[in-house]
Formats: sequence, structure tokens, C-alpha cells
Amino acid sequence: MDSQEARAILGVYREGCGITDQRFEQALKQTEVDLELNRWWTEEQTLDRIISAKIQSTHIPAGLKERLAAVPRPEPARSFKWQRAALLAAALFIALAVFFRAARTAPAARGSLADYSDEMVSFVKVDPSLELKSSELPRLTNFLQKAGAPSSLQLPKPLQNMPPVGCRTLRFRGHDVALICFHSGDGRLLHMFVLNRSAFPEMRPGDGPRYSSQGEWTTATWVQGNEIYMVTMQGDRTQLQNHVFDT
Amino acid sequence: MGGLSFESVVEEFYMPLYRFALSLSRNPSDAGDLTQQTFYIWARKGHQLRDSSKTKTWLFTTLYREFLAQKRRADRFTETDDETKFVEPLHVPATVVDTLDGAIVQEALHALPDSYRAPVTLFYMQQHSYREIAEILGIPIGTVMSRISRGKAELRKTLLDFAGDAARKTVPMGGVPENG
Repeated sequence: MDSQEARAILGVYREGCGITDQRFEQALKQTEVDLELNRWWTEEQTLDRIISAKIQSTHIPAGLKERLAAVPRPEPARSFKWQRAALLAAALFIALAVFFRAARTAPAARGSLADYSDEMVSFVKVDPSLELKSSELPRLTNFLQKAGAPSSLQLPKPLQNMPPVGCRTLRFRGHDVALICFHSGDGRLLHMFVLNRSAFPEMRPGDGPRYSSQGEWTTATWVQGNEIYMVTMQGDRTQLQNHVFDT
Repeated sequence: MGGLSFESVVEEFYMPLYRFALSLSRNPSDAGDLTQQTFYIWARKGHQLRDSSKTKTWLFTTLYREFLAQKRRADRFTETDDETKFVEPLHVPATVVDTLDGAIVQEALHALPDSYRAPVTLFYMQQHSYREIAEILGIPIGTVMSRISRGKAELRKTLLDFAGDAARKTVPMGGVPENG
């Protein structure tokens, strides 16, 4: 093995690579007898350590950890016996339902309005990637309609005049959610989520706006027609009110 | 999940996963989505993993598959390499790279062709054996090593170019800036 060949092989070697390769062993042995190769190898390792440190110093966006921790999770798995008992109970329930011709259906598993708010706000804490970027609201609603998300929007006047950035679709417990992001005009983004009211049937047309906050994010939720609207931005309640309702 | 809580898995792996996602997608927003999607899948399927020591490889593999699925570029990653040939990396003085900003090194990494970027990133993250890298990327170990070899050589070239650009942009003391 000549020096050039040894360099090519050592260029691939890394401590902890977990590979037993004769070529590595030979090349490493050669560094013990070839002073120039040894010097080169020492500097190579230093260079790799520097590159490694710089790559690992990548900035992690603020709020990413919180957003990930808020990922919706299923209920913890029950033991096998419980699963079997649950299956038997479900089978019995279905049999009884059929027997009595009951037109009832089991309620769908769904989260609370607070879950919805938490998950959506967590999503936009890191600027979300958008499926369509456009400053034309009709283009965005057309896209949302094709994607099967809520698209017949009835927006408060200030929002109608706010330039949009883009949109994307999301899912919440089986329901399609439309997300449209707007430029609020003061350098911030305002995010609007629209969800069909069937996700929270207890909410009635005309309900709201209800305000809540998550750290420095404030959220307003209301019902208009058959849709639930939720807007959120970084700021306090007054700022959000001014942007959305102009009061 | 072998006794690992969801929160502890997020705590331990979200930063390296995000960095890997960023090197693949080259976009912080997409990297955040990819990382989130990985934990979303973990929340649903992680309990199927019987050996908790495989959690790290499982997460990286899932993230990489999600990336491929989203980009629909899987075919570009299935070509076979000449597994026996390694190339000698271009010599770049360590002091030159040490003066470069981390963001520039990251940019040089992002400039690598797709097939080199993932193995080189995992090489420099120093968290995985080559066998694990092969498992994550779904390619043979020989291919992993060959791509690391060529990818590192490419990365050096780009770093040298960037270092040259940075040096040219430096205005000497007392010099007159252009258009000044």
C-alpha cells in the first residue's frame, strides 16, 4: 500500500465506525512508520473534528422541542387481556346494536378545543412550510377546495384586507384543517386555521371569539356559518383584536 | 417502547434528527416538518420496536424514508457505486476551515449531491456506526464508505471555494469599499 492509497483509505476511516476492514488496519499501521503520512493523518483528524463541530452547531429553531412534544399521541397500549376484553365488549356492543336495530354509532374519538388550539399553535411556532405560496386569496381558497379542506370562508373585514402569504392543509383527529398565513403588516405572521364545525359540534354559530394564550402566542376562536375559525399570532389579546376584528 | 417515554425520546434525539433533516431538505421549515412527522410516526408505531437500543436507528431510518417519500426521489438513491474505490480527500488546512462560520460549512454540506449529502452528514454527526448508516440509508456498507469518500472530497472542494470567496470579500484595513 503506497502513501496515496493509505490516504484514500484513511479518508473514509472514523473512530467508532464499527468496521473491521483490513485496509483500515494496514493504513493505520502505515501511519506509525511513515512520518509524513502520520502528520497528514493528524491534520485530517483535526480537520474532521472542526467540520464535525461546525455541523453539529447548527442552530435549532426556538420552540421546536415544544412543537415536537405536542405531537398527538395515542392512548398508552393496554395489556393483552384488556385488549381482548375491550374487543369482546365491542363485539357484544355491536351485536346488541344490530339486535335492537339501534341507529346509534359510537362517538368518534376526538380531542378538546384546547388540544386543537395547542396542536395548531405548536405547529406554527416554527414557520410552517406552505403547500401553496400566493398573495391572492382566491388562489389559496381554490387550492384548499381541491384539497378537500374548508374553503368557503367568511372572514372579518380586517382579514379580508390582509395580504396572504400562502396556505396548506393539516389534519386534526380525522378532520381537514385549512391553514392560511397572512402578513400582519408589522413584520409578524398571523395564522388562520379553519375547521368544519362537525369537529366540535358543541360550538354554535355566533360563538366567540374566545381568547386563550400559549406563552407569547394569543389565539382567538369563533364560529361563523359551519366553520370554526381560529387565528393566532405572537402578541397580546389587544394586538390580535386590532388585527382581526378592528375593535 | 422499552420503557422510554415519548418526552425522553424527543429530548434525546430531536436535535440530531433536526440537523439530519436540515441537511436532507436544506430548508429549516421542511426540516422542522420532517422531524415532527418522524415523532408523529414514533408516537404511533414506536411501541412496536422491541429493542429500545434501536430507537436511534429507527428514528433516523424513519426520517430518511419520510424524506424520500416526500420528495419522491427514491430512484435517485438506488444507483450502485463502485464500492472498492476511495478517493484521496483534497488537502484543506484545518486553520482555514476553523475560520469559517458554521453556517458556511453547513452551506457547503447542502451543496453536495443528494446521494453524498446524507452519508457525509451522518459521518460528521459521529453518532452512528457505518452499519447503522447503511441501515438508515438502505444501502450496502461498501456503498456507504464509497459515498463518504467521494462526498468528503466534494465537500473539501466547496469549502476551499467558500474560503477563497470569503478571503476575497474581506476589505483590507484602510481599503476603499466598492461603490463607496
